[in-house]
Amino acid sequence: MEQWLTFARGPLFIATFTFMVLGLGRLVFMEVYQMIGNWLRMRDRNVPWRKNLIESVYWLIPTGKLTRFKPVMSVTSFLFHIAVIVTPIFLVEHMLLWKSGLGLGFNLPAIGAELADFLTLGAIVTGLILLAVRIFDPRARAISDFWDYALLVIIVIPFVTGFIVMHPSLLFTRMQTMLTIHILSGELIFVLMPFTKLAHVVLFPFTRVSSDFYWRFPAEGPRRVAKALHGDEVSV
Amino acid sequence: METAVKETENLKPEGKEEEPSVNTELKAKYHIKDPPTGDRVTAFLRAFAAILKYTGYKGVLDAYSRASMHCSRCTASCHLHEVSGKDKDIPCYRTNILLDIYKRYFTPGGRLKSLILGNGDLTEEMIDEYAESLYRCTACRKCMLECPMGIDHGLMTHLGRYILSEMGISSKALRVSTIEQLEGATHNTSAIPVPALKDTIEFLEEELLEITGQEIKFPLDKEGREFAFFPAVSDFMMEADTLMGNAAVMHATGYADKWTIGTENYDGINYGLFYNDFILDKVITQLVDEADRLKAEKIMIGECGHASRSAKMFVPVFGRDKQKPVVNCIEFAYQMLKEGKLKLNPDVIKERVTYHDPCNIARSGWIVDQPRYILKNFVKDFVEMAPNGAENYCCGGGGGTVSIDEIYDFRMELGGRKKVEQMKATGAYYVVAPCANCKKQLKELIDYHKLDMELVGLHDLILKAIIWD
Repeated sequence: MEQWLTFARGPLFIATFTFMVLGLGRLVFMEVYQMIGNWLRMRDRNVPWRKNLIESVYWLIPTGKLTRFKPVMSVTSFLFHIAVIVTPIFLVEHMLLWKSGLGLGFNLPAIGAELADFLTLGAIVTGLILLAVRIFDPRARAISDFWDYALLVIIVIPFVTGFIVMHPSLLFTRMQTMLTIHILSGELIFVLMPFTKLAHVVLFPFTRVSSDFYWRFPAEGPRRVAKALHGDEVSV
Repeated sequence: METAVKETENLKPEGKEEEPSVNTELKAKYHIKDPPTGDRVTAFLRAFAAILKYTGYKGVLDAYSRASMHCSRCTASCHLHEVSGKDKDIPCYRTNILLDIYKRYFTPGGRLKSLILGNGDLTEEMIDEYAESLYRCTACRKCMLECPMGIDHGLMTHLGRYILSEMGISSKALRVSTIEQLEGATHNTSAIPVPALKDTIEFLEEELLEITGQEIKFPLDKEGREFAFFPAVSDFMMEADTLMGNAAVMHATGYADKWTIGTENYDGINYGLFYNDFILDKVITQLVDEADRLKAEKIMIGECGHASRSAKMFVPVFGRDKQKPVVNCIEFAYQMLKEGKLKLNPDVIKERVTYHDPCNIARSGWIVDQPRYILKNFVKDFVEMAPNGAENYCCGGGGGTVSIDEIYDFRMELGGRKKVEQMKATGAYYVVAPCANCKKQLKELIDYHKLDMELVGLHDLILKAIIWD
């Protein structure tokens, strides 16, 4: 178990974190590549970039949208995101990880133990509520696949195990085991990020601008499609 | 030749206890011209592959297939799903049909997954289901406003219909009109020949003289003017008041000799927006050629939502070197009113008036404030629908579906229901809808649901209120 723990918080952490960064970076690169390909062939290049940037930021704090439609899911999701983003990055113990594991030297503000507890429990509760909504709301259920359910379960595990590690009285197995599961489950998320919808963390600006961008067609596309499919005798 | 898809529906509007429950068997038959035979799966994939190769859709499919969160917020905003409650009417559900096919056949990961799991193949049945789903949707894009990722399901409906049309599945009604517009002798979707156009114009000019006492003309084939005017050609037959209003505004503001209609092309309608990008290209090309022939400075589109959006968005693309600025007639009237060149009498319209925002000009926020400014200028009792503006509900006949008579029942019972509720709630008499397609749909809804309302265009009311010096 000792070796697992050392391996998990050392080389495996660096490997999986790097994998996540490279994987997400690849997705961004591919999106930009596609957009450049379109850009070079677009005649109408008046894409309202500023408006879409403002919209992307607005949807990070979508106060106007939360309670109008599907309020339970929307508010829960908003709180869930705050909890799962703030805790892993700003926890004191994780700060040491950024420093030692990745060599990041600068000091970020860290959150104290009580706030961490509150956010961790918040992450677990909101995560489970979202899972319940997905199971019991027929509209969400109709479009949910395996990963929609699985990711919600997977993302709760590091929070549960992390909470137990911080409150050893809750331990039902050895501390080392719990810590190892905590680290491995977090690393599982790193690995899954580029391959599942978790990639939305880097893709949301691209989906946001997609409507304004992709409606501006490359002008010669449809003619070439028609010719390729129907030959020179293209008609209506 | 008839039908590829048949369906019966048991209708019950969700959660509306106070309304009598509607229990209707609906057969939605889709009439298709020259339907494809043989292996439609291969044809679909071949069309899809060609589109991915030559157009710019690949990037948006990559983004959506990776970042769609499957949250179903889109349902809370869909005029169709709110009434039908069916899974297949969830915008994300429809989009994911296409995304799943895309991943399965056109991405390495998807192909690998299908090798391992052996599922996800496209079938003839799926094509039928998808085809029906695509024409239940009106591509109004209200769902896009509620999606946290900003996914444009209307763009996906547009792409789905494009793929289908390139493999031979498209609405007969839309195709027949388009064939006439592009290859027929009259070059317009209503097959109105030039002599009939001239007769109609003569009649309208006489009417205008009677109504206003002014000699208002529709200038034909005048070169070098500021505006080449393209209404929905159906207006010549169906919306005389709107056209008279258009001509009256030009006359009243000193623009009588600054606009013209060309007799080689007088149709702004562009069904390509509804089902095929190549058709969209060709119709725009035809429109721009006429404006060019007339040596006009700008293109003005009449009261038609999709014609306006097609021209505004796609003249800069398919107009190529002949492109010109595009203006909607409401923008023009608004500007004239602001500059004081148009004066309207506030004592003419005594009834309550409400305004329907056509999706194609309102969803992007392009034409939202201007008609309201105009109406509030001379209408004493103006009420808004709720919601309105960019968030307005589709009339239920958008995306070309209003032209498909075979789905009349569907449009009246399902697609148009939210709109009927909205209209009733305003208590208005006049419903103003500056869009030829919305006008047809809303008139049919008013008749079908026996509402005590009158559907008018914006310029219809303007015509009544113009103050002539």
